[in-house]
Amino acid sequence: MSVSEMPSGQVLLRVDEVSLRLGGTLILDRVTFEVRDRIRQDQVTGQVVSLLGPSGVGKTRLLRILAGLDTPDAGRLTGPDNRPLPPGSVGFVFQHYPLLRHRTVLENLIIAGTCNGMTHDEARQRARQLLQRFQLDHRSSFYPAQLSGGQRQRVAIAQQLVRHKGLLLMDEPFSGLDPAALEDVMRLLIEVAHMHELNTIMVVTHDIRAALLVSDTVFMLGRDRHPDGTPIPGARIQGVYDLVARGLAWREDLEDQPAFLQLEREIKGRFRSL
Amino acid sequence: MRHRIVAALLPNRAIDRTTALLLVAAWVLAALLCWVFSPFATLPTPAEVFAALSDLWWRRGLGPEVGTTLKLILHALVLTVAISLALSYATVIAACRPLVEAVCKLRFLGLTGLIFPFTLLTGGGYPLKVALLTFGMATFFTTAMAQVVMDIPQERFDHMRVLGASEARILWEVVVRGTLDRALDITRQNVAIGWSMITMVEGISRAEGGVGALILNQNKHFRLAEVYAILIVILLLGLLMDYGMGALERLLCPYAHLERVRR
Repeated sequence: MSVSEMPSGQVLLRVDEVSLRLGGTLILDRVTFEVRDRIRQDQVTGQVVSLLGPSGVGKTRLLRILAGLDTPDAGRLTGPDNRPLPPGSVGFVFQHYPLLRHRTVLENLIIAGTCNGMTHDEARQRARQLLQRFQLDHRSSFYPAQLSGGQRQRVAIAQQLVRHKGLLLMDEPFSGLDPAALEDVMRLLIEVAHMHELNTIMVVTHDIRAALLVSDTVFMLGRDRHPDGTPIPGARIQGVYDLVARGLAWREDLEDQPAFLQLEREIKGRFRSL
Repeated sequence: MRHRIVAALLPNRAIDRTTALLLVAAWVLAALLCWVFSPFATLPTPAEVFAALSDLWWRRGLGPEVGTTLKLILHALVLTVAISLALSYATVIAACRPLVEAVCKLRFLGLTGLIFPFTLLTGGGYPLKVALLTFGMATFFTTAMAQVVMDIPQERFDHMRVLGASEARILWEVVVRGTLDRALDITRQNVAIGWSMITMVEGISRAEGGVGALILNQNKHFRLAEVYAILIVILLLGLLMDYGMGALERLLCPYAHLERVRR
């Protein structure tokens, strides 16, 4: 069976006609999309979904709505079985990786567990496991101010994984990284996504190439334009790219594929018009 | 050595600890020289001041007066911290904000006009002095601390919400624990405000003593050497408390020093 014939499973996230106004300006206009479980025979397959779009188009606002931090003016969010997303089921790694500055790395992770109903001992055990997995166990007693940018990012991700969350949102995880660090982060995202069959990582980014390299699906958020080129308020989903169906996911040699390069060019071209 | 001098004289340069100590020593020496060679004959010389200090300490009971003042300041400080922190943390509740803002505005009032109502409220004596000192310090403390709480970035609250924390937990972690270093820092500044008010406050009821009352009595008789000797004691006590608060901050909030960029 080719990858394009892979069955897709249940709906994990459905965003239905979500609209948002801020200060009277329409930011999101009936944004609609869904994310389905990716299924591979005998393999735990989570997924990475990217949300691409120009600056200021409302990507972060959409993430905040998905995280339950903002309430849309209209529309509905549902999870599996068409039910509202249960509280605590969505993680959010913010762009600047905020951590509790007065707590050590280990304590930051423990708090993430105890906030979600785990006992202190359970949270500590889980935190230790995650620190080991993220190669941060030697930094467990450090304060956030003592961490490098990359370490801080890993702690912020680990913090969201102390209690399993089906949907992990990440705001600009690739910004300001050198090529080696970028590769590490991409590898980490894929690893985290495949930790659980129903895991979905949704990444908001401007980095088209990085998004294409890690994603199974790419959504493009953008505004329509008047004939004279001025944007019409209210962003919506302007395009969906199923990279699994195109054979551009789950492989190492993506950057050598002509189809990959062609898609990258195509998305770059569309980017200018959004 | 040349590198150290250049670093000390140019703007925005980092200096090492030895250079910092040398600079302090140089400035202290300059101040002492200015004092020794002062052209004003009415100013007591260092020798006269230190002789007066010795006399005050060994013969005129400066030690117990210091104890009286320290008790007053510490008592007022504990009340100030409790009241001001409660008010500052209350700014997270919209209904409390006007009250907190009103308390902050009271810092423009002098203590003089408040003595009468405070006397009626407290009955005078030691409670009156504690109340006045607490009022004076709390208005400044609340102003600074409420601003710290209001300046907490929204992202820190959102971060805890995403982790699933309750609002009470967010209040504890982000507002109370997250600003502890700043609270200690502001307490440190308020101790200085308390010392600067002590003469006025202790002057209200001199019978109970204290260094403030003592300095006013010496000043009344124009015993300038004694006045300066007491000022030096106040300065040293203030510096000692300041150092103690700094040590407490380093002990309780080691992370705060990691975030500071030394220049």
